Amino acid sequence: MASPSPKSPEQSERTRKYDRQLRLWGDHGQAALEGAHVCLINATGLGTEILKSLVLPGIGAFTIIDSKKISDDDIGANFFLDSESVGKSRAEIATQVLLELNSDVRGDYVDEGPEQILSNSPDFFNNFTVVITTALPEKSLIRLSKILWDLDIPLIVCRSLGFIAYMRVQTREHTVIETHPDNETPDLRLDNPFETLKNHFDSINLDELDLKDHTHVPYVVILYKYLEKWISENGDVPKNYKEKQQLRDMIRSGIRKDEHNNPIDEENFEEAIKAVNTSVGRYEVPPSVMEVLNDDCCINLTAKSKPFWIIAKAVKDFMENDGSNSLPLKGAVPDMTADTEKYISLQQVYHKQAAADAEAVWRRTVHLLRQIGRPSDAITEKDVKLFCRHASNIYIQRGSCIADEYDPKTVDASEMTQSLENPESMMVYYVVLRGIEKFQVEYNSYPGEFDDHVEPDIVKLKACISKLLMEWGCGPLAKDDYVHEFCRYGGSELHSVSAFLGGLAAQETIKFITNQCKPIHNTFIYDAVTSNSASFFI
Amino acid sequence: MGSDYAHRKWCHLRKVLERSGPFCRPDFEPSPNTLQFLSENCKLLVIGAGGLGCELLKDLALMGFGQIHLIDMDTIELSNLNRQFLFRQKDIGASKAEIAAKFINTRIPGCHVIPHFCKIQDKDEAFYRQFHIVISGLDSIVARRWINGMLISLLNYEDGELDQSSVIPMIDGGTEGFKGNARVILPGLTACIECTLDLYPPQVTYPLCTIANTPRLPEHCIEYVKVMQWPKENPFDCPIDGDDPQHINWIYEKSNERAVQFSIQGLTYRLVQGVVKNIIPAVASTNAVIAASCSTEVFKLATSCCSSLNNYMVLNDLDGIYTYTYEAEKKEDCLACSQIPREIQISNSTLKLKDLLAILCERVDLQMKNPGITANVNGKNKTLYMQTVASIEEKTRENLNRSLVELGLRNGSEIMVADSTTPNTVVMKLKFSTSTTDIDML
Amino acid sequence: MIKLFSLKQAKKDGESPRTGTQKKASAAQLRITKDINELNLPKTCGTEFPDPDDLLTFKLIICPDEGFYKGGRFVFSFKVGPNYPHEPPKVKCETQVYHPNIDLEGNVCLNILREDWKPVLTINSIVYGLQYLFLEPNPEDPLNKDAAEVLQNNRRVFEQNVVKAMRGGYVGSFYFERCLK
Repeated sequence: MASPSPKSPEQSERTRKYDRQLRLWGDHGQAALEGAHVCLINATGLGTEILKSLVLPGIGAFTIIDSKKISDDDIGANFFLDSESVGKSRAEIATQVLLELNSDVRGDYVDEGPEQILSNSPDFFNNFTVVITTALPEKSLIRLSKILWDLDIPLIVCRSLGFIAYMRVQTREHTVIETHPDNETPDLRLDNPFETLKNHFDSINLDELDLKDHTHVPYVVILYKYLEKWISENGDVPKNYKEKQQLRDMIRSGIRKDEHNNPIDEENFEEAIKAVNTSVGRYEVPPSVMEVLNDDCCINLTAKSKPFWIIAKAVKDFMENDGSNSLPLKGAVPDMTADTEKYISLQQVYHKQAAADAEAVWRRTVHLLRQIGRPSDAITEKDVKLFCRHASNIYIQRGSCIADEYDPKTVDASEMTQSLENPESMMVYYVVLRGIEKFQVEYNSYPGEFDDHVEPDIVKLKACISKLLMEWGCGPLAKDDYVHEFCRYGGSELHSVSAFLGGLAAQETIKFITNQCKPIHNTFIYDAVTSNSASFFI
Repeated sequence: MGSDYAHRKWCHLRKVLERSGPFCRPDFEPSPNTLQFLSENCKLLVIGAGGLGCELLKDLALMGFGQIHLIDMDTIELSNLNRQFLFRQKDIGASKAEIAAKFINTRIPGCHVIPHFCKIQDKDEAFYRQFHIVISGLDSIVARRWINGMLISLLNYEDGELDQSSVIPMIDGGTEGFKGNARVILPGLTACIECTLDLYPPQVTYPLCTIANTPRLPEHCIEYVKVMQWPKENPFDCPIDGDDPQHINWIYEKSNERAVQFSIQGLTYRLVQGVVKNIIPAVASTNAVIAASCSTEVFKLATSCCSSLNNYMVLNDLDGIYTYTYEAEKKEDCLACSQIPREIQISNSTLKLKDLLAILCERVDLQMKNPGITANVNGKNKTLYMQTVASIEEKTRENLNRSLVELGLRNGSEIMVADSTTPNTVVMKLKFSTSTTDIDML
Repeated sequence: MIKLFSLKQAKKDGESPRTGTQKKASAAQLRITKDINELNLPKTCGTEFPDPDDLLTFKLIICPDEGFYKGGRFVFSFKVGPNYPHEPPKVKCETQVYHPNIDLEGNVCLNILREDWKPVLTINSIVYGLQYLFLEPNPEDPLNKDAAEVLQNNRRVFEQNVVKAMRGGYVGSFYFERCLK
């Protein structure tokens, strides 16, 4: 074959620097990250930890909002403030020190408190990709949550208190194309092969193959042949364990024998037998995907619809018209025992069909864009291909507004009430943390902040919590242990606990920015005493 | 800056160390001395100054630890900078341990990090014995197994009972992409690295015949060039160096030719690098989480302020955030940590090796059949006798008539005995009776 | 609850160890000692340890007494690494052999040497696997494609080629060194 030797691609400094993460979220994920601008409110130890794990991978820009001056105890809990900087603006120094981590990143700061900004310039937040807060008092949190809810900008609220960390994400609607599932089942369509696939299968006759070819036929072909036979004898695909077992026996009987009538070692047949369990059922669009496709946002497109919904609608139209109610084909074929020629020709049959399906969806996308009066380049063919490849795993998350948790009229306490009945549930930490916020409003300090006030604060914190529980219609806490423990912490921030949550919060931020992987839904608690964590939807 | 400053600086830590709470370990005593112990006396060893190591140093320094040794043999590369935040562009090529130590010592006055720019294998027992806790942030199974073996070899047993003061806890972290784990190992008491070796997935390998004749994946083409074509053509007269761009280029070009020849799609430069260097994807956030979890465990162990993780935590933040903790079980027949050296009384210093063999075969509690004996003499492995393998038997036969002392064994020496009657090689400790100790001194 | 160390005390440097300065054998070392001591070789196989103190490096000699390769003498080198038994030993055939599963560079295609290796397997398992390759060369998944094709198409010619190679001589364009016992 006379193909000129390819020139090795010169790797840019940037791809070499980010190599280890590009293998996780790809060049398109990195581009999204580099185009993002996040806002951090309060450069506490936790706050700078979150930014650190965003600046290192190369986020586009960050803005820090913080009116505090650096104190001695900040130095003991925050790596991104140096000991010389006591008395200076926390926002300024943190910005400076964080920027040293990565010259690709831009950063600025506002040394005003969030309360001032919320009052004086509520439009300030309009252009951020994600807003993150740490140690934000209740009153500001409620206002910020409402503003961002209306702007449809994700908000991540973080707290680190003693050995406990808390994170709550607020997002109106978040869509994910690449969910990165751990185990993906291959999309083989054996029960109803498309035309070119059927032709490919029909061109192979297992009985006529010599032994060498027989042991190198891809298992997908074997599986199809016996499934076809099964369907012709039984009218449908095998449905239960017994029927699948019979199909397996049928396949096993097809293994060639040696001169002593012992079955030969044919790995491809063994692989076919193994695949019976996952690959012979009737093709079905996953219910979670159907839910997305039947969502109002998908059915009723408007000029403002997000690209996700436009492509989803195109997929739906494709299914109902060209795709015989199947999603566009994934096109990936897992590796299997086979010789090169047989494997590659099978792979190409799937590849070509996947490309044709994606092409059809692309045409429908352009058509839809025109219908809703958007330019036809608002969505690229690449976007459509990506969507089609992952169509069976697309995901949508709809959240709730944090402000609603603070309003007795809108709070939904059923989850809390139920969880609190379970002594193992970590919901109790949510309750105590809410009590502490209330305490801060009333007494302007953390419970236990001052050494000589621990005991009286325990009583006061208990009262705050009781009030809340009454509002929610819950019974009292089973034990006072948690109240005592939080008063022991006295609002202290332990660096390793902050660093733990900091890493996780950065990762949740990256999920929102790249639209890859599913974010938490929507509250996360970490207990460093037991090293356990839990997620709730509130 | 006086102690007043330190007092204010550590006010966060002081709250949890100077106050008691309902979830503390029963033996926890709230006291200002604990913080002083952390900063002045508690000696830690951090192994690895990479993605986990940088985070560990920062976390431990801010959790009040002041006496930290750091060991790493690597130098800084450009691809480290997306997560190893103690390093800058200008540091590329310098020792990770040295740069990291300097950074921490400057940023956090009062914390003393001492770097060791070498392999862990270059240090001896006396070095490792000085630490209270060892924390490992490694990406190599071999290195993990080595330090695990080292810490187990530091255990003292008296009459088969473990002397707990000889236990040096090991906190181990590992990450891969968005997944990670942290664990607490109390050598001799809880599951060790060797007990749970099957938790580490084997390296992906492909059948040679597939690589040679029926490639289907781009990986098969790359492996072909790496395993078969390189040794044959030896283009640069040396083994493959994954960090040499010329080498990677050569492999890329050759594997691309092969992929074209077999109509295989999807071969990229990035993939070639990944396969040749066995690159594990890594991101700052996962390292931060796992290192933080390890540091919390170090803090708990050093202060007794609450119970330790028992003993294994896994993290996966691909789908929401998932953590799971469980107790990995100590293996009764673990090659490393179940080896409580058995004592063998040696009554006479002139005892010959053949007499020792006879003891092993005749003693009622042993009754061995064909013991093969090796020992570590002056830091070198020595096969004393092995009957079952003809070529070894021949070469070691003359040892049978030598005395144990002549063979380099002393009171307290350990011998390794393999025999068909025991599932594993057994470690035995020679105990010369008192009357012979002076000969031992010779 | 286990109290591991007394917090108020610093560790002493250079405290003299109770058992001398010897280093304990690694887990890999202990395991290979067991493997070697338990070697149960078929009568057609032998081992050679150039240095009896180094159990990690040795040679296996196979002299088949039946089949195509009867009368030949084939030497394999074994290198056991520090990650044994997590990783398999590296095995190469040092004798040039005309064989469908062994190529002319000495690479051996045996599943348990690569993709199917498991830590429960032993050196003995590999010895038996290698011995089997000489009794039943497998033309389905070849490494030496030419030899495999001949075996598949004409066993007589294959047999002649094997003998030719073992006596020392050309098969096709490749010259084999003599390896008869």
